[in-house]
Amino acid sequence: MASPGDEGSRPNGPNGSLGSFSERNKREHSNPEIISALYEELFGEEDCERPCYLPDHREEDSRDAEQDGTVAREDKEKGGGDGEVEGESKKVKGTSAELAGSQMSNELDAGDFQEDLGARSETGHDDGIQDRDQEISLRNGASAEASFTERSVAVDGEFSSDRGLDALPSPTSSQGGTSGYMAGSGSSSASTSSISGIEAANEQDTEGTGSRKEERGARVPGKRHTEEDDSHPSWRRHKKHFFILSNAGKPIYSRYGDEHKLAGFSATLQAIMSFVENSGDTVHLVRAGDHQIVFLVRGPLYLVCISSTDEPSEVLRGQLELLHGQLILILTKAVEKCFLKNSKFDMRPLLGGMDVVLSSLIHAFSWEPATFLKAYTCLPLPYGARQAACGALQDMTDSGALFSVLMCGNKVISLVGSRKTSLHPHDLLLLSNFISSSDSFRTSESFSPVCLPRYNSAAFMYAYVQYLNKDTCLILLTADPNDFFHLKECRAQIEIVLRESNVLREVNNSIERGGLRIEDMPGSEVGPSESGSTRGDRASDDGASTSAPEAVPGAGGPAGLWHFIYRSTYLDQFIASEFSPPFTTRSAQKRLYRAYQKLHASMHNAGGGGPHKMQYRRDEDHVLLSWRTSDFELYAAFDPLAEKNSAIFVCNRICQWIRDMEAEVFLLGATPFNW
Amino acid sequence: MGCASSSPAPRQGRLDGISHDATETFDSRNIRIKLVLLGDSGVGKSCIVLRFVRGQFDPSSKVTVGASFLSQTIALQDSTTVKFEIWDTAGQERYASLAPLYYRGAAAAVVVYDITSPDSFQRAQFWVKELQKHGSPGIVMALVGNKADLHESREVTSEDAQAYAESNGMFFIETSAKTADNVNQLFEEIAKRLPRGQPTQKP
Repeated sequence: MASPGDEGSRPNGPNGSLGSFSERNKREHSNPEIISALYEELFGEEDCERPCYLPDHREEDSRDAEQDGTVAREDKEKGGGDGEVEGESKKVKGTSAELAGSQMSNELDAGDFQEDLGARSETGHDDGIQDRDQEISLRNGASAEASFTERSVAVDGEFSSDRGLDALPSPTSSQGGTSGYMAGSGSSSASTSSISGIEAANEQDTEGTGSRKEERGARVPGKRHTEEDDSHPSWRRHKKHFFILSNAGKPIYSRYGDEHKLAGFSATLQAIMSFVENSGDTVHLVRAGDHQIVFLVRGPLYLVCISSTDEPSEVLRGQLELLHGQLILILTKAVEKCFLKNSKFDMRPLLGGMDVVLSSLIHAFSWEPATFLKAYTCLPLPYGARQAACGALQDMTDSGALFSVLMCGNKVISLVGSRKTSLHPHDLLLLSNFISSSDSFRTSESFSPVCLPRYNSAAFMYAYVQYLNKDTCLILLTADPNDFFHLKECRAQIEIVLRESNVLREVNNSIERGGLRIEDMPGSEVGPSESGSTRGDRASDDGASTSAPEAVPGAGGPAGLWHFIYRSTYLDQFIASEFSPPFTTRSAQKRLYRAYQKLHASMHNAGGGGPHKMQYRRDEDHVLLSWRTSDFELYAAFDPLAEKNSAIFVCNRICQWIRDMEAEVFLLGATPFNW
Repeated sequence: MGCASSSPAPRQGRLDGISHDATETFDSRNIRIKLVLLGDSGVGKSCIVLRFVRGQFDPSSKVTVGASFLSQTIALQDSTTVKFEIWDTAGQERYASLAPLYYRGAAAAVVVYDITSPDSFQRAQFWVKELQKHGSPGIVMALVGNKADLHESREVTSEDAQAYAESNGMFFIETSAKTADNVNQLFEEIAKRLPRGQPTQKP
């Protein structure tokens, strides 16, 4: 195999493939004019400071066009997607050493090529189009190979998406050309340390704004930066974009900016996706420098995430799936029929006022472990109080409601399902997000159609929602749209029972006490020992047990334990400890969750040598230990200096601790998952 | 399970339920009626209701999801009381197909538009037609031009609205939930126009 970066060893294949490529391009581009126009619109007259999605390449493209009259038109056609990805990668490249560590060898190669092409664009790109094609085809080889495992198109580095993808659609074509293509995946001798210069500078560009944003403090609900569009440099600097568009390219939702102004950008995304779709394939992932573009196709809807947050692509994909679930929760799958009737159907009006719900879900992706753990969390409560709450809900559920949920914020107090029905943790997450992010539910009792995508994505259920106090919310779900008054009576009775049995007071106590603190772990060397203490009598101990560690930032629990998440496999529930020093800033907390996400992905996915049973990782921020058995998953963060043996020892103690408190921190028995 | 998303089919035999005792009268002096608010999103339906029920005005816009249920009792001069059970529906397009769920069996309907938005006036006319077709017979309808405090940016004249209301047998009033102008008058007027309880039930 040729070593990457060795110009001389480039295969001959691509030379020959240029002609056929053009042929294919002609055939498969259903609407070149539109894409070309798009390209013009998007990139033709941009003169502002080059933001990350803007192609540095456009000058090159136009130069190519001038030089080679015959291919000029076609080159432009490709430009829509082409310039897009390339520009991005060049602007915010930063293919870091970390990437090198974790990626497959062929991706490394691409990284190296990237450098190569980056340098070329620096010096001014005067070569003919043929030369570029050659190089790109090379990468096609690399990516086509990478994608065979999961049929994901890993368009690496400098990859021009259109051309890159062009080779992919039919696996046969890339296999057929193996002799040539294979050259792309050389040995992994490519040392990524050679990637330097431009990239480092570009990295600062994005990181700077990112961290500033993170520190900004409490979140303002709803959509932000609505005034922006893709011509604003600030818009391009956001680290994580989410888009929803129709397969006709109509924008439906964008996390940042005004969807109407982003019509052109949406059309570009659509062009990329439909181009691949036209050849019977699906684009899953484009990797461009430190940006990942993850695509998800769900019926007539395209969901896209463009992220430079270094989250694993599986995690981003999961987030897109949740985002789609949230759409379904609001509209049911029946909305897809509208697209059948009219492919140009504009879905935006149907989502009127729901930006806040989608934005809040996206916010939860960074702050709510439930989004990647596929589990929900409970408000810690004395066993008796939770039993009383479950009892009250059970009575009502027997009389008609499908599900009764009592929640406090995003934590479950009690959850009861009627027989033979179960509530998927994601449904619960989406429902809870929908309700907590819509302020109107707090104003008065409401009766709203909702659809639980995992339960039945085709039909609405009706949710009776009433806040019993500031945080505590009762949700009764029924299939009968005429059930309001019945549920209203149920609510009145439940409320009486909850007040009589002091459940609401216990809930308030629990909120005041806060969640689990690692300092309270029995046998903690830091705080006064309180072995055998239970949560019930912990309230009184709190003062004593927390004073010492909180005065010493970074001390944490035993053996340098800083934080943990314990997920019970059978209950589909998790419990996370409260943030304690050093996780005092929002950015530190976010980093921790991101690290957990990564760890979770590596524990569950085959990629990177997984799935694993146990992992011990050290990075510059912390030591992370994860442990997965058939009963539970544990994710724990330690001081970077923590020793492996003592960390494992502490993990055992955490598990024991949680088991001792199981009845208080989890909802046992009553969970619908046990039916 | 559930009802289809597009059109919640009226369930025969379950016409009680959400519309149960909608127009039930305790006696001729104490009436309980179901009232529904309809109109485009953002015209201020919830603000009118919250002003009427709680005397509050919250300028921060909270988008109603589905429908909110509130009730308020008023006493009229002739010493009768009327308890309004109010369905404050969401104005968003996606809920339009669910509106029958809320207006079925309603004795009164308040169709709201925003005097600064001709579109919302168009939308109001849509709701009026819908109610004429599918609403309860004899339903008392009010056409309400809200945000009267923004008269300097008025786009819909009172004359046009008045004329439309008259030609459709509705009464017309302009309100401001912000300044509380005419809000109570609106509900009092509806109460007055309600058909009084069945004479046979008189004690």
